[in-house]
Amino acid sequence: MTTSLLEASHIYAGYGEVPVLRDITVHVGAGEAVGMFGPNGHGKTTLLRTISGLLRPSNGTVHFDGDDVTIAKPSDIVGRGLVHAQQGNMLFGDMGVAETLELAAFKPRARAGAKAALERVYALFPRLAERRKQLARTLSGGERQMLSIGCALMCAPRLLLLDEPTLGLSPRLKEELAVAIGEIHESGIPLILVEQDVEFLLSLTDRLYLVEHGEVAREIDQASAPDHQEIMDMYFGTAAT
Amino acid sequence: MTETLIATIVSGLLLGSLYALMASGLSLVWTTLGVFNFAHGALMTFGAFVAWTVAEAWGLGLLAGAVAGVGAAALAGVLIELLLVRPFYGHRNMLLITVMTTLAAMIILQNGAQVIWGARLKQLPPIVEGNVSIFGAVVSAHEALIIVIAPLVLLLLWWFASTTRTGRSLRAVGQNQDSAALIGIDVPRAFSLAFGLSAALAGLTGVLLGSIRFITPSLGAEPLVKAMIVVIFGGLGSLGASAGAAFVIGMLEAFLVLWLGLYWTPSILFLLLILVLVFRPNGLFGRANA
Amino acid sequence: MTRTRIAAILVAFALLALVPLVVTDSYVRHLFIIAFIYAVVASNWDLSLGYTGLFNFGHLTFFGVGVYTAAILAETVELSPWAAILCGGITAALAALLISAPVARLKGIYVVLVTFAFSQLAMQVVLSQSDITGGAEGIVRIPYLQVGDYRFIRDYNLAYYYTAFAMLCVSTVFLLAVVASPFGKSLRALRDNPDYAASRGISVARQRIMSLVLSAVFTGIAGGFYAIYLRVASPEVFGFGTLSLALSMVLIGGVGTIIGPVLAALFLTFLTEAMAGIRGLEDARFIVVALAMILVLRLAPGGSIEMLSRLRLGAGFRSRRETTDTAGNRS
Repeated sequence: MTTSLLEASHIYAGYGEVPVLRDITVHVGAGEAVGMFGPNGHGKTTLLRTISGLLRPSNGTVHFDGDDVTIAKPSDIVGRGLVHAQQGNMLFGDMGVAETLELAAFKPRARAGAKAALERVYALFPRLAERRKQLARTLSGGERQMLSIGCALMCAPRLLLLDEPTLGLSPRLKEELAVAIGEIHESGIPLILVEQDVEFLLSLTDRLYLVEHGEVAREIDQASAPDHQEIMDMYFGTAAT
Repeated sequence: MTETLIATIVSGLLLGSLYALMASGLSLVWTTLGVFNFAHGALMTFGAFVAWTVAEAWGLGLLAGAVAGVGAAALAGVLIELLLVRPFYGHRNMLLITVMTTLAAMIILQNGAQVIWGARLKQLPPIVEGNVSIFGAVVSAHEALIIVIAPLVLLLLWWFASTTRTGRSLRAVGQNQDSAALIGIDVPRAFSLAFGLSAALAGLTGVLLGSIRFITPSLGAEPLVKAMIVVIFGGLGSLGASAGAAFVIGMLEAFLVLWLGLYWTPSILFLLLILVLVFRPNGLFGRANA
Repeated sequence: MTRTRIAAILVAFALLALVPLVVTDSYVRHLFIIAFIYAVVASNWDLSLGYTGLFNFGHLTFFGVGVYTAAILAETVELSPWAAILCGGITAALAALLISAPVARLKGIYVVLVTFAFSQLAMQVVLSQSDITGGAEGIVRIPYLQVGDYRFIRDYNLAYYYTAFAMLCVSTVFLLAVVASPFGKSLRALRDNPDYAASRGISVARQRIMSLVLSAVFTGIAGGFYAIYLRVASPEVFGFGTLSLALSMVLIGGVGTIIGPVLAALFLTFLTEAMAGIRGLEDARFIVVALAMILVLRLAPGGSIEMLSRLRLGAGFRSRRETTDTAGNRS
């Protein structure tokens, strides 16, 4: 248990009176890439929001690198290196690409390596380098996702939470992002990747969680990876209930 | 004739400077928190009174008074945010509720000033004595100083918001709170800071105004109303637009007084406001979604 | 509204009708008269602010327009004071029509700003047009009311009491009728679910205009009566003090209840007058009102009526209707 980088245990959370997460437990080991999939509205995004501190769980604990961060402020959690890139986010609409990336290295820990990080982001996403001066709200959907991931990288992440980075993108752009995410992981950053496309996840991650009804319905190891048909059955068979 | 013209322009610039300082404070809080601070004028009055107490009643001099006035206003602003605005974040009717709580804050500050300082007229000494002559028109040096200080303060504010890390973080919070939090910005702290800074601007305006008008508990009421008209014309969303609108309104007012006299000026301003709103409901420079 | 509540209101109004028989002191009667005037202002404001959900902060403009209409017509034009009061209602409605033209199309904070600026500019106009309005000094020695030979000034405010009370009764019945009408129901639909209401063909602009104009009529009449009764018209009526007092009545009484603000007006008028009598509290009384307003917003955003009914639920005193609701259904 202490070997895990992230340990979210028995989390209950929701919005107002509506419970979304019911006793969900996930963990990420050092250097690991973990995938997460499941039907929409079953708690994947809510879990990420709870881990990153945007939402306070009504029960359960979140430990990061051995420290209890359950009730820490989001800004402190980022400061520790647990960084969350939100789904379909336009970030700061009236700010330019370069300005946003520079600002994202906000915490002192991130500021130290900001220059190198910026170069890395531009190397990873040359499109962003071309659009340095452009305002975020004028970017295309794919460019926004790139900016969102770029921002997360500027925060000097020690664990990255990526929430559906390829949502609504063309297959070509999706491939481009898959390469980038693979490179990020290979550079030594562990991550949780939320996606609908299980094969996409299997190509990038070591282990998968199927999240349903606010809990982990199944954990799948890369070694014992099910074949395509099995995944389809699992996905649609259980989602239909 | 040219003398009258220049005097009118100077008076327009003076009014514009004053309105721009007020409106930029309102705009800062609005763009960061989405709250309209009705107590802004009262914070200005409060700053002027504290400055008067320190500078005149305690005899510590104008500089100490100015610093105390600006500081006290900033502190009061932070307290208003903490006690009257923060408890309502995320509330369904936050906009309306905070209008009412800041209105209550205004009543408390204004009547509190009445209780503490009484109704006797008070005035700060001018920062600089004497007069200066601008193209033949004689203007008091203090008024000339205000005309110089206001644009400088506005430029400073613009520089702060667009280039400094803290200034950018305030803009980020105003545009997307969740995303701001997720890159490590402490959102509640940004809210306090925006409120404090805006209140400090109000305090500064009070100190500047306190030597050309009498300091009474209702000193800030009229400038607040004018600043509201400015933001109706210019929109609340951008510093540049509200500053621009402030100078337009200031000039307009000065020239209306010159042409029509004090008797008709308010009525014409009133009619103009209605007309502009009927034909351009989002203000003269406002964007449709502002 | 429940039967018991209607009965309670009727009893309360009947008691108010009997007050002058017991209370002969002209000062206490004066307080009642002022309270009735504020009650009209606050409950009519509730129509636009509470029922329509329109962020109208210029309601006191209608009151001020009524004050000055009556004062100018009665004093300068020498119209009968009775007619002057009624004219206050007409001009206030016209003012509402004027302001509703831009307000009908504005959104959010801009409604607050425009309505508020409207009232403040109205004050500036009154102050500057001193030939007509008397400027800062206002208009004084306005003719008093009389019926035939009966003069309203030497009867310890008896006749004024009943006139003000009658005005409040008519205004309240009018408001309750508006709220219960199909128009009133459409107002609520629009407030609670704007998209649905719009899809059913309810026009936001038309509703806002109607609501503002309807809420202005009795507010203007109350203003006219205020001027004739006090025999002065002064620009203070547009000020922050009057505004915040009336607003606190709406809030403390309960937004969207009509009757709540009436009760709160009675309570707060006596409270602030009582505090004005205590040395050292003359200026602090508005601070107390402002603090009360903040407390209500923090603890019971629905106003004191909601707070009372919650207390009653908590204490187990349930009326017939409340027990028929499913238990634990807090909505």
